[in-house]
Amino acid sequence: MSSAGLWTLRLVCLALMAALPFVIGPFWLQMMTQALIYSLVVFSINVLTGFCGLLSFGQAGFVGAGAYTFGVLSIAGAPIFLCVLAGLALPTLLGLLLGLPAARLKGHYLAIGTLGFGVLGAQMLNNMVDVTRGPMGLLGIHSVDLGQNGWYYVLLVISFGAMTGLNAMERHSFLGVMLKSVKYDEISAESCGVATFGVKLLAFCGSAFLAGLCGVLLAAYMRFLTPDLFVPTESFRYLMIAVVGGAGSATGGFIASLFLTAMPELLRSLGETNFRLLVYGIMVLFVLWFVPGGIGGLVERVIGHRAGTAPARPQTDNAAHIAAPGVSR
Amino acid sequence: MTTPILEIKDVSKDFGGVQALQSVDLTGLAGEVHGLIGPNGAGKSTLIGCITGVNRIDRGEILFRGRRIDHMSVHKRARLGIARTFQKIRLAQQLTVFENVAAALASRWFRRPSGYLRVFTSLSSKLVTDPVYEALEAAGISSLAREQVTSLPYGKRHFVELARALVAQPDAILLDEPATGLTDAERENLMALVRRITANGSLVVLVEHDLELVGRLCDRVTVIEYGRKIFGGTPLDAQQDPHVVKAYLGSSKFAQKEASGVPAA
Repeated sequence: MSSAGLWTLRLVCLALMAALPFVIGPFWLQMMTQALIYSLVVFSINVLTGFCGLLSFGQAGFVGAGAYTFGVLSIAGAPIFLCVLAGLALPTLLGLLLGLPAARLKGHYLAIGTLGFGVLGAQMLNNMVDVTRGPMGLLGIHSVDLGQNGWYYVLLVISFGAMTGLNAMERHSFLGVMLKSVKYDEISAESCGVATFGVKLLAFCGSAFLAGLCGVLLAAYMRFLTPDLFVPTESFRYLMIAVVGGAGSATGGFIASLFLTAMPELLRSLGETNFRLLVYGIMVLFVLWFVPGGIGGLVERVIGHRAGTAPARPQTDNAAHIAAPGVSR
Repeated sequence: MTTPILEIKDVSKDFGGVQALQSVDLTGLAGEVHGLIGPNGAGKSTLIGCITGVNRIDRGEILFRGRRIDHMSVHKRARLGIARTFQKIRLAQQLTVFENVAAALASRWFRRPSGYLRVFTSLSSKLVTDPVYEALEAAGISSLAREQVTSLPYGKRHFVELARALVAQPDAILLDEPATGLTDAERENLMALVRRITANGSLVVLVEHDLELVGRLCDRVTVIEYGRKIFGGTPLDAQQDPHVVKAYLGSSKFAQKEASGVPAA
């Protein structure tokens, strides 16, 4: 599909999403708003795992750090821009600190290392009662009053913008090529002059920043936080959404966030037992069996992009003249 | 053809008690093709690893353009101007040829810290496309730019690695068995390419078992056996050396070196 065609498709999807508040009720709008918030942490997994090949089981730790930093500062009376800045800065710093040891790890060791970080984060939120009020939860967070529709539109713009930006970064920028070259073969990337350790640190920081943004928005939207929201099972849920979406595809992550957040609620028609969760789990398994590239892979096939292939040839005058298709000198 | 680019002095390397290299010396000059030959397991690839930084040396020095590099990381050495290809091809299989080659622009751009600003450069900007297509042209594979590496025949993948080495505009290129699995026509292309690289004043270090190729291309050869250098000199002299004949050549002969005039490409 041509670039103009893709943009048309994107704008049509955006318009459809923008029309949603006029179609669905307040409960579902709230659901979709939360799904948009969670799409950001899914993007953070896209960056770390999908683009750079580093598996993280601790993303909820970053989300929690962002959310609680925003919440605690806002209750202490700090101006909102400061709360946002700190809520983004602290997770990014944590990403750097976790990355310093974790970027040297591989495979299961990396998985265990990040899992440890996630557990530590949840424990700290629970036990630092003086700061976080622990299991009692953080109440009365000050935030901006946008109204339900306002929040939905703001989050739609942020999430859609992040998705488009990440897609462009992964497919069309030199940074994307560097990240992917580290994922596929570190030794060969090093011999190409890519500092693999530095690139991994960058991926950790970028990922933590996105997860922190998710946390900040969550705190600002919900105005109530408990440590339960950031336990390691949440990290696994995010990872599951990212994998169903196709780890390397922000588009897939976006779609999967919306569907997998809505699905457990849709399945409530099956009754209020755990049966609906069983059905949910089986549906996820089926996606993984039959669409190994995830939703993103499916989308790419439909719109005619091969997975992992970047449209690389520019049709500038000069490039067309030195490299006409089929001519090799 | 007298400026030393690469100087390996008294280099030793052991892997847990196995002496892979013992006081090896080698000097690579600007504009020469330097053959590195020897039986299987002699330590050729280990030496390439020591030069590029994949293996840390235990003793000795490695100098690149007069500067010690043996303590540097792999990417730092690449940024100084040492490029390589791999014996067992190492390309990002899922990426396009273009992307694979573009990745190596890192060693050219990141020589200076200001180059880091280029990470957000678009792949379709001329900053990327011009050097990448130039390298692909030189390797004769510009028509494959948009192919995924998995879809390419084995021989072509060698040329992708070569293009990736060339895009960095290196002063030294280390080729680890580049002719394996090439068709006759591809071998001729490879030789023409190597001659063009050295004509620009770069050093090519060639690890190869194909004696015809070594004889036709190399100005000098270094022969190693069991991690020791047993000979250094021209291919013709190597043929007269009883030790080299016994250790490696047997009854085989190098092909005659051709005049190193640069053929019109």
